[in-house]
Amino acid sequence: MTDDDRLAALFSQAAAETPPPPRFDHDRVVATSRRITARRRSAVLGGAMALLVVTGVGVAVGLPRPGGDAVSSAAAPAAAPEAAAEAGAAADAVRAAPVPLGPGTTECAQRQDPQLRAVLEEVLPEVAGAVEAAVTTDCRPGGERGVSLEVSDGGTAGLLTVEYLPPGEPAGPTSGPSAVAATASGGTVVVGSRGEGPGTPAPFADRLDATAADLAPRL
Amino acid sequence: MDESAEAAFEAYFRARRDAVRRTAYLLCGDWHRADDHAQAAFVALHRHWRRIRDTAALDAWMRRTLVRSVVDESRRPWRRERFTDVVEAGAVASATDGVATRHVLVDGLRSVPPRQRAVLVLRYLEGLDVAGTAAALGCSEGTVKSQTSHGLAALRAVLGDTLDDLRPAG
Repeated sequence: MTDDDRLAALFSQAAAETPPPPRFDHDRVVATSRRITARRRSAVLGGAMALLVVTGVGVAVGLPRPGGDAVSSAAAPAAAPEAAAEAGAAADAVRAAPVPLGPGTTECAQRQDPQLRAVLEEVLPEVAGAVEAAVTTDCRPGGERGVSLEVSDGGTAGLLTVEYLPPGEPAGPTSGPSAVAATASGGTVVVGSRGEGPGTPAPFADRLDATAADLAPRL
Repeated sequence: MDESAEAAFEAYFRARRDAVRRTAYLLCGDWHRADDHAQAAFVALHRHWRRIRDTAALDAWMRRTLVRSVVDESRRPWRRERFTDVVEAGAVASATDGVATRHVLVDGLRSVPPRQRAVLVLRYLEGLDVAGTAAALGCSEGTVKSQTSHGLAALRAVLGDTLDDLRPAG
């Protein structure tokens, strides 16, 4: 028997311990999967609705007032720059004074928080549609928020994580490149990235500081 | 997912749940957390089932997802594992029978850094070779070899003469 064989036997013996009954079954897995998918869709729908509201403000500003001069379709192109400017101003106003997301309100922290992800996609649109990385489901204080995504930055693939820690909870050291910023709600945001393996480049490594800075007023 | 896809997922879940739980247990050393990681991996699999075209690669996908879940969890601000070369007296049981051997190895693995622990579990429990382990972890074969050597050294440093069988390999 080789050393590898002996080690394999030892590991198999260790894993042969009679396990306790599983704490999850097929129905629970499927229900959790569907719940996460529904939350994700709600977040996307919410973002789309917010965009429609902002766009609607801009369009409303560009429309003729009752009793005023009618704007024919032929005149629309002339009005378009003004409407676009108004819409842009409205969007800038929304962007300039965002309402901080703040601590989570669920009983347990959401490790794939749809609201945090929606904010992240605002400041780092390249991660829209990225696959969620696997996270655990054990219960942590609900004030925390997290997002972990399997991302690709050009040809550089890896894991991007964003952690929001509520006021009073300090951020610990991280492995790999990361950026930390104090948020508008008094909490802390930690943006980290790492490549596929040791020594490999981390995606968005040169944008972590800017991402944390952009997230800070929104969280 | 349509009914056939749901049925295929359920069949895979029922066939692989116990194996995935055992791997997760050796990766993290705690059944409670092992179930969390295993469940998270299956939830991720269910969510991405339609995108995984190569069903022959399901096990590899699950291994990679599971290892990433455990390793990443150990790095989170709220659960950052600490490792030490100094083990408290009595922290590791002696191996006098099969049951004790299991506990000794699991206790010892807890003292090995997560990435090295993952390499050891994939190689010696899952039976992957160096190339397969490298593919599962997304790293080079050289990294797997060095992590194996460092991991076994760390394990031996903790266990001392308790398990004389442990030898660096690869």
